[in-house]
Amino acid sequence: MEDTEIGEVIGSSNTELIAESSLLHNPPPFGSFIKVQAREPIYAVVFNAYTHSMEPNRLAIAYHRSEQELRDEQPQIFELLKTKFEAVIIGYEHEGTIRHHLPPQPPRLHSFVHTCHPMEVRRLTSHLKFFRFLLGVEKAPRAELIAGAIRAAYVVRDCERSFLVQAGKELVKLIGDDYEMLSSILQRIQD
Amino acid sequence: MQQLRRRVGVVVNGSLVGGLEMKLDEWYSVEDIRAGKFVVIEGEKSCFFCMVTDVRLDATNPQVLADPPSEEEDLMRQVLHGTATYGTVCLRPLLMTEKNELAEEHDEPHLVKTIPVHFSVVAEAEEEDVNRIFGSEDADSRYFHIGRPLDMETPICVDLEGFIERSNGIFGKTGTGKTFLTRLVLSGLIHKNRAVNLIYDMHSEYGWQATQETGNGRGSFVKGLKQLFGSKVSIFTLDPESARRRGVQSDFNVKIPYNQITVEDIASLSDELNLNPTAIESAYLIVNKFGREWLSTLLKQDPAEIKDFADHIGAHPESISALHRKLKRLENFNFLQERVADDAVYKILEFIDKGVHIVLEFGQQSSFLCYMLVSNILTRRLHDQYVMKTERYLSSGRPQDKPKQLIITIEEAHKFLNPMAARQTIFGTIAREMRKYFVSLLIVDQRPSSIDDEVMSQVGTRITALLSDEKDINAVLTGVSNASWLRSVLSSLDSKQQALLMGHAVPMPVVIRTRDYDSVFYTALGHVEGEELSQKAQSNIADLFGDR
Repeated sequence: MEDTEIGEVIGSSNTELIAESSLLHNPPPFGSFIKVQAREPIYAVVFNAYTHSMEPNRLAIAYHRSEQELRDEQPQIFELLKTKFEAVIIGYEHEGTIRHHLPPQPPRLHSFVHTCHPMEVRRLTSHLKFFRFLLGVEKAPRAELIAGAIRAAYVVRDCERSFLVQAGKELVKLIGDDYEMLSSILQRIQD
Repeated sequence: MQQLRRRVGVVVNGSLVGGLEMKLDEWYSVEDIRAGKFVVIEGEKSCFFCMVTDVRLDATNPQVLADPPSEEEDLMRQVLHGTATYGTVCLRPLLMTEKNELAEEHDEPHLVKTIPVHFSVVAEAEEEDVNRIFGSEDADSRYFHIGRPLDMETPICVDLEGFIERSNGIFGKTGTGKTFLTRLVLSGLIHKNRAVNLIYDMHSEYGWQATQETGNGRGSFVKGLKQLFGSKVSIFTLDPESARRRGVQSDFNVKIPYNQITVEDIASLSDELNLNPTAIESAYLIVNKFGREWLSTLLKQDPAEIKDFADHIGAHPESISALHRKLKRLENFNFLQERVADDAVYKILEFIDKGVHIVLEFGQQSSFLCYMLVSNILTRRLHDQYVMKTERYLSSGRPQDKPKQLIITIEEAHKFLNPMAARQTIFGTIAREMRKYFVSLLIVDQRPSSIDDEVMSQVGTRITALLSDEKDINAVLTGVSNASWLRSVLSSLDSKQQALLMGHAVPMPVVIRTRDYDSVFYTALGHVEGEELSQKAQSNIADLFGDR
């Protein structure tokens, strides 16, 4: 399943990328780890997703029908909708090792995006330096984003509590002076 | 081979004068750090041996302290522990050694003149480190194992050579184990044969068995020096009756003739006898007339004829009458006699010359008056004899004339060494003259603040059990440079079996759990009993006469 693409890059910069989801209404989860397939794969964390009309001037309108009724009666409207997601780049792979800094070039447009394999998530989160990238995101609530990423990594680590503690300690180093944010993140990741 | 030490934290702050600060590693519990703990800092070029003086809880963000995590917030607590909230440990570097491995064998630890670089690793001291600093009994017979560090099983030794060179003190509140510490130290001195001891044993606790006040065998009997060392120790007594009742075989009954009591002896007791300065002056008038027989002459006077006697010597009758009345108390002491067969001082000297240690028991005569009177008289004359012996040795220069180093143990020392008495009693002189005449003191006291500052500053090695009075703590630290940090260590000692050791006989101050005074200790001193004793006797007989 990991091998089928979940989207395609339609906009990129050195720090962020926008991709169109392969399935309508089905972007990768908020805070999950994704990979842009390339010779040197680029890793990113999803921080935003949205669905809207393909044509910029046309807004979707309410039909007051259930989705199934709509699909039966007016299947064409689903063809006119697109789901996109945005992700913040947290590192890339170079000669087989993961680098926890920004890639030299932004992801190429039309590259395929995949969900990270659990092993890749483990490797990515063996160092927690990438929290710094998540803190730089302005378009999403940072506390939620970090908590989401930690939870995603926590799940692939078979819910090892020591990982939560380790992540918390890393956060103290980064946002020790913002005790409120720290405690709100910790509350979110607690079992 | 250097053992791998267990890491405690890293140095983050500090100065040579104020001491160092260490951030405690998160996996090391702050509760495992005790004041007085012994740690090693591996600097870039030197190793520093330090003692923990203070432990503190710190936080990077004051907000954490204002809104501490609740008990349910387990994760928060775990996360904050060691990061936003951490333990800071204050260390006092005491000694340093060069890290040069080639020179390690010869490199003696020396006093600190610098501090380690930032983020030097602090680790728990290992047995090897302790041995290197305090020496070990196996390496040299001058070392005597007196206890162990608070959290280690390595023996801490005192250097007895250094110990006997000066007067020493054992201090502590009542019930903190002074007697026990003293017995331990005396055992060491006798066992290692470093000096001859004369012990003024006020409560008859050292010579024969005494009850144990603390520890496992509380209430049971512990062995006295005579039982441990046999013929190396003699018991002298002032009260043969009491000795008999306790089943103690005394070697000599001390009797003191009146003519050995001088006015100075009486003067130093003026508090106890309630004498005023005029009385002392009158006493001198009697001495002018009757010389050494002054006291017996005075005591023999009929109260009715005191006036004539006063006229005869040219003193004020009222004053002589008062002196007579007050000194009459001395007649109650059985050991004071008109004439005695054996001079106690010569007897003591004879034993000392043979290297036999003497415990002088006071038995029932344990009043301060008696204790001070006897110890003053005997010590003054012993001191005179020692001065003569020393002078003879200095003129002849022959090693066989060298007097044996004598250590006099006195209890309740503040009575002898308070600022008033220290100038009058012979003990003040001995404490100040130190070892010039091969006599030094072992002062046992519970009220060091009453001891004269000048005397305190000359005390070489101090073994201090718990003291709580601020004045006493100050007094014990008199003459110790940069001592403020020791204050916290001293007041945090346990009330049993713990002592702070500092001064001449140890390279750095150290807190010890004192050694148990039990059968293991007896055996270490070569004491055998029961089955083993009879076997030893058999083998001795076999050695002497051959197998039959």
